[in-house]
Amino acid sequence: MLHICFGEMENANYGPDWFKVNYDPKWLKDPFVQKIIKDVDKSEYVDGLIINSPVLGPIPPERLSGGAQTLIMIYEKPELIFDATSCGENCAKILHEIGMQKDVTINLNYLMKFDDVESLKVYIKNEERVITDMEDYIMTAVKYV
Amino acid sequence: MTGSYHIVVVNATSKYELDIKRNITILKGDSATGKTVLVDMIRDYVSNGPDSGIMLSCDIPCRVIDGNTWEEQLSPINNSIVFIDEGNRFVSSEEFAHYVREGKNYYVIVTREKLSNLPYSVTEIYGIRGSGKYNDMVPVYHETYHIYEEYIRNLQAGECITPDVILTEDSNAGYDFFNTIAHNNSGNIECRAAGGKSNIYGSVIHAHDHSVLIIADGAAFGAEMERICELIHSGADLHLFLPESFEWLILNSGVIKDISKDEMEHAENYADSEKFFSWERYFTHLLTQNTIGTPMAYSKTRLNDYYRSSNITKRILATVQGIDFHYESRV
Repeated sequence: MLHICFGEMENANYGPDWFKVNYDPKWLKDPFVQKIIKDVDKSEYVDGLIINSPVLGPIPPERLSGGAQTLIMIYEKPELIFDATSCGENCAKILHEIGMQKDVTINLNYLMKFDDVESLKVYIKNEERVITDMEDYIMTAVKYV
Repeated sequence: MTGSYHIVVVNATSKYELDIKRNITILKGDSATGKTVLVDMIRDYVSNGPDSGIMLSCDIPCRVIDGNTWEEQLSPINNSIVFIDEGNRFVSSEEFAHYVREGKNYYVIVTREKLSNLPYSVTEIYGIRGSGKYNDMVPVYHETYHIYEEYIRNLQAGECITPDVILTEDSNAGYDFFNTIAHNNSGNIECRAAGGKSNIYGSVIHAHDHSVLIIADGAAFGAEMERICELIHSGADLHLFLPESFEWLILNSGVIKDISKDEMEHAENYADSEKFFSWERYFTHLLTQNTIGTPMAYSKTRLNDYYRSSNITKRILATVQGIDFHYESRV
């Protein structure tokens, strides 16, 4: 499940910085990582370390968006906590999908809405409870961010 | 620092154009819209000049600061536009707010966080959108758009609203003015003061049974916009009236003579960021200085009775379109 801690958190890592120095080229072969790249950056993984961006042309993984890099780190390193504030709202659906696959904990410092998620289920660490209702989620989030 | 600055940044694949006219500008929005690419291009240009393959056009220097050494980087920078990419947690610190308050530079900050320490305008929160794609004959063009455009009430084009409650940001002169209007309404409108902009959300979150008009200083209300807009989006009967400030509302009504049109319409050329942390303070200064020693003498802490008179109140309200205060018919 996706575990969310709202507000400042000391041990939350900044995804893009981690990604740039720690990513494993093998990750790019994973269909779910390719889906992240496709959904968020509208880009296609080509081969090796080449990604085809509709805006920037052929780019290395280091030039993926901060949101895509953070999602990949959350997906590949579920044992670490990342600050998903670097993920825009267009990352919310796939972030929730990651949470459906494995237990991950993220830090959030803005109101990320999950409007495109059909069945919301997140664990809010600040209140130690599971939330499945969108309005409940929003009213809870705005208390902390 | 004063003035408005048009920035153009171009390389082979991307072109950005943006206008910066206040000390604080916020860039936010979806991932992969090009915010970090913009900051990276400016950083490359600052490091390598035209050899970077980037063309940057701006009347004053653009700079980028980041990381733990941000203060060392920022200290020698003056009269520049300073860009800060997301992931720099110092932007929410009191130390950084101190530098912004000094007003030596304009700052463009990429962040989705609420920066409560900084008084940024609701009109200076932008997203970036692009048009075109790689391999076109021209670089993909990126421009800014107002994130909260639909919530910043367009009183000239919108429908007329009739609030049950007016909620002002604080209990100073602005509250005195609108409370006077409420008193002249035989109980049709109630006026309350939130006791600070950060208390507005808490004051309206349970206001489900009546229509609330929030009146706050748009020049410094940026940090509160996300959660207030979320309440509006969820269906609460809330309306936003966000003039630059209450003092701007008075000045804009024309009740004070000898205020030049330029001082109002091009405040960026007068609101020196070294003197004024936000435009709200500039308009307060403008009104206070132009009325001092006169019967209209303005004090922010308590409204001069001059501004409560029926004639002056009507003239001020006449500039507010789209809100029915039931005033004229009852006094």
